[in-house]
Amino acid sequence: MKNLIKPVQFIIGFIVLVTVTFTTNAQSNQTPVASSKTLLEQTLLEHKGKVIYIDFWASWCVPCRKSFPWMNTIQDKYKQQGFTVVSINLDANKALAEKFLIEMPASFPVIYDPKGKLAKHFNIQGMPSSMLIGRDGTIKSRHTGFFTNKIKQYQQEIEQFLTEKEVK
Amino acid sequence: MMSTIKNIVLIASTLTVTSGCSSLGLGVEPWERDLLAKKEMLLNASPVDSALDDHIYFSKEASSGGKGFGGGGCGCN
Amino acid sequence: MKNITEKPNIKAVLTIAAATLLGTNSLAHAESNTFETEPDEWKFDTAILYYSEADRVSAGEAIFNAQKTFDTEEILNLKLTIDTLTGASANGAVAQPTVQTFTRPSGNGQYQIAPAETPLDDTFRDTRVQLNAQWTQPIAPDYTASGGLHLSKEYDYLSLGINGNIAVDFDRKNSTFSAGFSYFKDTFSPEGGLPQAFSSMLIGDSNADSWDDDFSATRIGSEDDKTTVDILLGFTQVINRRMLMQFNYSYSTVDGYLTDPFKVLSVVNNNGEAQDYIYESRPDSRVKQSVFAQSLYHFDTTVLDVSYRYMWDDWKIKSHTIDSRFRIPLGDSFGKESYLQPHFRFYQQSAADFYQPFLIDNESIPAFASADYRIGEMTAYTVGLKYGMLVNNGHELSFRIEYYSQRPTDAGFDEIGVLKSVDLYPSVDAVIAQVTYSF
Repeated sequence: MKNLIKPVQFIIGFIVLVTVTFTTNAQSNQTPVASSKTLLEQTLLEHKGKVIYIDFWASWCVPCRKSFPWMNTIQDKYKQQGFTVVSINLDANKALAEKFLIEMPASFPVIYDPKGKLAKHFNIQGMPSSMLIGRDGTIKSRHTGFFTNKIKQYQQEIEQFLTEKEVK
Repeated sequence: MMSTIKNIVLIASTLTVTSGCSSLGLGVEPWERDLLAKKEMLLNASPVDSALDDHIYFSKEASSGGKGFGGGGCGCN
Repeated sequence: MKNITEKPNIKAVLTIAAATLLGTNSLAHAESNTFETEPDEWKFDTAILYYSEADRVSAGEAIFNAQKTFDTEEILNLKLTIDTLTGASANGAVAQPTVQTFTRPSGNGQYQIAPAETPLDDTFRDTRVQLNAQWTQPIAPDYTASGGLHLSKEYDYLSLGINGNIAVDFDRKNSTFSAGFSYFKDTFSPEGGLPQAFSSMLIGDSNADSWDDDFSATRIGSEDDKTTVDILLGFTQVINRRMLMQFNYSYSTVDGYLTDPFKVLSVVNNNGEAQDYIYESRPDSRVKQSVFAQSLYHFDTTVLDVSYRYMWDDWKIKSHTIDSRFRIPLGDSFGKESYLQPHFRFYQQSAADFYQPFLIDNESIPAFASADYRIGEMTAYTVGLKYGMLVNNGHELSFRIEYYSQRPTDAGFDEIGVLKSVDLYPSVDAVIAQVTYSF
């Protein structure tokens, strides 16, 4: 439970921060350099109210590569019900990630976090890692590792949170 | 009595080593293993070469083995 | 498994494929394919190696390895090894300024050695087949277990083995503890049987009527065996993003028939002239221990792999091994994703306490004695180069060539009489060439 408090505060905090930053910057005519945190926030804002599957991956991680076809499948399967995958790439060398995405295109957003700031913030314990965000914007579940024999279990979890209505 | 003391010392030093390694700042975050994940960074990068060489050297010399297994790599799953 | 250059050499029995099993067939091999794109398919490695010593032994070895990673993270590894060897190897006697005659190990015939030449027996030719199977699987988060079987057969030798090991990860897999064991049972039925320790080599006419009876009188049996138990403890630590280190301790105990039934010692007079050749004798047990450290470092593009092993045993042999490889990626200019990898190995060992290059006839015969240079004092160097590249859709082709020079040295024995005029410690130089194709 205490694992969720910090990230939840972060999400709420950044929603506020980004809104403030955007209005401030619009006024001062400056274009902010998009950090990975900013990009994540923007994406989460875009998909507010949806169930979000956040996945941390890298091109050198075999189970990450294995999970891609499945993530494309669930993106397609559940998006009508208000769902999206948001992936965060942790390749130190962005070119390697881009090379992988040419061979295996993603039908979901990819945020580049080459310095691992988001991974550090979310206290990622292994590769790959995933977090399931409910419609209310809180983290409902976390997994370390990707196991093909657990796909059914992963999908059941997603479906469970899809049936919840958004808390207003 | 002695063997109990020895066992305690062994276990204590093992735990010290494991906790000590992380407090010494050794190790990397799970997403920093891009280089370690490469095939050439495996402890036994060419098992076929090792098997052939080991056979030659223990046929011609008095020593053999001692090499291990486990650890390193991408650390995934 | 017997060694590659001596057809019937029990000395090889000293630590068999325990080395191969623990070091290469288990988790270590499993890890070699963790970076593949399609881990659910079979991955194959095929290699052919040619080993050739100048004027002595030549051997060919082929390996066929198949590995499959399952959905559930289990790994099955199957390996077939075939090797054949021909040529001549030292029989333990010293060179003389005169012609020498010896009887073949089987008792069927004699052979002669020219003056000043190291006596070599060229009756060795044999083919060996080996099968290995290894199963590795996670048994809990951060716990991986592995177990395997080994079978090796040649005309006069059978080796059966089993191994098991477990690896535990700590601290986000930055640290790993591992523990493994292996057990081997080897049976040896050499042609000509086992000679009586320190009995004289019967030299005469193999075709004579009384030969067979006389020869069997020097034999104590037709077969014997030995068992080997090995334990290995290891600790691997990720140092930083570029560096990995491993530390191991191993303990090995062998019991049974450890003598080489084909090796003799020359018994010389005070002028160094051979009066007799007697069969060697070694203790029936050996306990070896070693400590090993390895470090891998990834520079900008190159990778350096350096390891050191110190071994000591109750035969009073001590050895140092330094092994290093430096991988240099060449990009795509000399072949797709090609690389060069120079290799350098240095080895040094001290003699067993019962090693003697020869015996003197007026001295009493010790409890154990052997003139096998491979348990004598020696220094050896290997320099090599490997070149690899990708072909055909991601398959790897590589070529390796090495030069291995063994230099036995004088462990402090006075060279008496005519022995001063011959080379008691000849060097043995070999060329190794290998081609590997992985797909």
